Amino acid sequence: MRDLIENILHDARRRGASFADLRVNTGESTSISVEDGQADKVSSASRSGAGLRVLVDGAWGFAPTNSITGEELRRCLDDAMSMAKAAAGHVAEPGVVAEVEPVEDTVEATAEIDPREVPLADRVQRIYEIEQVARERDDRIVNSRANYADGVGSLIIANTFGTYIEQQSMRCSVRVAATAQSGDARQIATESEARPGGYEIARAIDPDAWAGDVADRALALLDAVPAPAGTFNVIIDPRVCGLLAHEAFGHNAEADAVWAGESILAGREGQQVCSPLVTIADDPTLKGLNGSFVYDHEGVPARRHDIVREGVLIGYLHSLETAARLGVEPNGAARAEGHQSEPIVRMSNTFIDAGDATLEEMIADTKDGLLLKGGYWGYVFTARGQFTCNVENAWAIRDGKIGQHFRNASFAGLTMEMLSRVDAVGNEISFDLGGTCGKGGQGMSVDAGGPYLRIRDVVVGGQQQAGRGQ
Amino acid sequence: MSELLDIAQAAVEAAQAAGADFCDAFCSDSTDVSVEVEKSSINYCATIRDQGLSVRAFVNGGQGFATVQQLTIEAARESAQRAVALARAAHPDPDFVRLPDPSEAEEVPELFDEEMAGLDAGAFVEWCLQGIDEARAVADDAIVQGGAGVGWGESALASSTGVAISKRGSSAGLSFFVIIARGDDIGTYFEQDMARRMADLEIGGVAETAAREAIRQLGSRPVPTARVPLVLGPLATMGLIGSVIGAAEADGVQRNRSWLAGREGERIASEVLTLREEPLVPAGLRSSAYDGEGVARTPRALIDRGVLTTYLHNSYTAFKAGVEPTGHAGRGGYGSSVGIGVSNLQTQPGEKTEAELISEIDEGIYVAYAGISPSSVTGEVSTTLDFGFRIENGECTTPISTTLIGSTGDELLSNIDAISSDYREEPGLILPSMRISSVQIASEG
Repeated sequence: MRDLIENILHDARRRGASFADLRVNTGESTSISVEDGQADKVSSASRSGAGLRVLVDGAWGFAPTNSITGEELRRCLDDAMSMAKAAAGHVAEPGVVAEVEPVEDTVEATAEIDPREVPLADRVQRIYEIEQVARERDDRIVNSRANYADGVGSLIIANTFGTYIEQQSMRCSVRVAATAQSGDARQIATESEARPGGYEIARAIDPDAWAGDVADRALALLDAVPAPAGTFNVIIDPRVCGLLAHEAFGHNAEADAVWAGESILAGREGQQVCSPLVTIADDPTLKGLNGSFVYDHEGVPARRHDIVREGVLIGYLHSLETAARLGVEPNGAARAEGHQSEPIVRMSNTFIDAGDATLEEMIADTKDGLLLKGGYWGYVFTARGQFTCNVENAWAIRDGKIGQHFRNASFAGLTMEMLSRVDAVGNEISFDLGGTCGKGGQGMSVDAGGPYLRIRDVVVGGQQQAGRGQ
Repeated sequence: MSELLDIAQAAVEAAQAAGADFCDAFCSDSTDVSVEVEKSSINYCATIRDQGLSVRAFVNGGQGFATVQQLTIEAARESAQRAVALARAAHPDPDFVRLPDPSEAEEVPELFDEEMAGLDAGAFVEWCLQGIDEARAVADDAIVQGGAGVGWGESALASSTGVAISKRGSSAGLSFFVIIARGDDIGTYFEQDMARRMADLEIGGVAETAAREAIRQLGSRPVPTARVPLVLGPLATMGLIGSVIGAAEADGVQRNRSWLAGREGERIASEVLTLREEPLVPAGLRSSAYDGEGVARTPRALIDRGVLTTYLHNSYTAFKAGVEPTGHAGRGGYGSSVGIGVSNLQTQPGEKTEAELISEIDEGIYVAYAGISPSSVTGEVSTTLDFGFRIENGECTTPISTTLIGSTGDELLSNIDAISSDYREEPGLILPSMRISSVQIASEG
């Protein structure tokens, strides 16, 4: 295989490519779906293929195949060269890549239990037991689901710099959802565990605590009232903080958006972009998180990315191309969903770093406000720096005390304006947002976290007219 | 018979031989060619060929589903055996009855266009260059992102009940996202066009529209937090309609995780709302003669003067409920299991133009685009109105910033007090604007 890959890359150079890379991807995955007491859907997927990318006269050409044969890889080379040449001559800003030292390495997957060695019936039973806890928690739980997935794969990353890396991977995820009903009202809560590793991830779950908590949260939401609409001082929990770090800031720090003029952080390196209390980083080298990896998909070793230090913008996340365009060293942030997609700049484990406040201090020091817990989803328009985060729960804070429980709330704002209004940062961080981030049509495993954070004057969308404060 | 259908049928035979009570197999072979624009420059072309198959097998109602990214008889047989083994590992499902029998339907014309499928990357480079020029003619500081491309392919579906269908399809499109930055004041907008035949594709004007609308977004301001009327423009209605129809999928209803459970035949919206599904429109973007299990699709009203006429069924949910499948089995590709989905949706236009609907509002919001999609479980929604304008004294005035909506599907649907007579039309789709009489919004104003 290595000879074949290197021959293809050699031919790409010979035919005029200034750079080429090839990723060969094989793997298999198994998934189990349990709903309302029946594990009635079990699936498996087998994937294989290669994606070849060439840079010719400043234009990129890309062609993947699902068949890893010499004949197909040569067809890919023909197609990729033809694609690049179709674009060459029309490129206003020619593509470039930063030169890097070649890396040769083999990376083994880190897992205690290879899921393939666990009988399928045992995996089904385990997920059934988790779902059962949610289902049997209370008569008002009217739907419960648990989904399990494991995946084992191998990725070869090779390029014309001489890099040749074989990276094995193993991943496992478990998700549970509970729907509670009272009268016509339904509420849902979900939880997931997802990260690199083997079946030990599913085995380590305590169903009573984990799935039981999900059911309890759904039940509690039945008694919550619709959230107020208006502008509030808010305290956000680590999960919402992770969502904020990822959506509001992280996407703006991806250097492809910066270079393309699609980020509000473009040209602001060295400037104060948020409160001096805020430090933001993205770190794929943190162990055991959903966005952790050893090499990115361009073969660059993973490293911590310092984005903001004490409110000052330090740097961005880079691919080989964006590093060259912005004249910096690549920092290993390019990943691709599979062989049918090209590597693009992606976050890994993004977080706001800890400060020195306690949650109790923050609450006690808040006269009127909201405590927001449980980040659900979010999105951002990076060019405008406008983001939205949806949360599971809100509680009123009145005179330093927690009050009414609310549901159905989102908050939104302009990234730099909002983060300049952070006035307290909690002293402990946690990562609790392992999931999939979508960008450019590609999904990617990421994680996010942070401490409790207090932000002044945040617009919250709710169903009740409340105005400013509560 | 097509080669793909041969492979699908080989998979079905292998699954039956391995002990499947019922099974089906789906194969597809597709090619996409695309050109990407970044920072107002062509910089990337790709040609992506994707081949694969999936086999779904049932044993005592338990479902096994296996996919592989290969298209060979051998891979089909191996996947079939794997699917049966997975089905045996699944729990028996007494609610599973059977897969549907074959049904007869006329093929929908013009879903495949030879001319379109023959386009090469050079054509899309030209479309993109034209787009960049158009945007810059509107504003020479416009930053253009986006691209153009085509996809075409063939798929085949076979089942143990005798379904044997193969079809070809093509579609091409272009989309542009334009950024206008004047200091800290930033306006952005996007526009796109997509079609299944070249005659329906309008290449010129897409980027120009995006650029003009991006300029209109400059100078955005917050509005007062209040209950106000909203006018949802055509694109802003898509999230609402899509999520309401999603909540009408029978799977969620039967599993008691849909806010529309128990509402079939009831009024769920104002009587001004009639929503039809038209799956057989020639060259329609979402047209198809059959659903993802081979059941003939049928034109029908899904919401008739505010009444939810039917839930959307695939064969599993239909037979479980004791009704006939409605032709709504959805299959996203060989990698996706069978779910539920709709084809072309058409909202029935009303009496007054969008401009007239706006002119009747003293204080409100026009929403050009936002993902106003109530949760399929709770029916609740809290999200940002991403692109819109304040309405003052019957006219759209300043663009809005950081403005959120908090509502429910019930409130939004029952408060629709008018549908516009003018509409955006995409092949097969009719999208008029909707006016919602009163909704809570929050902003900094």
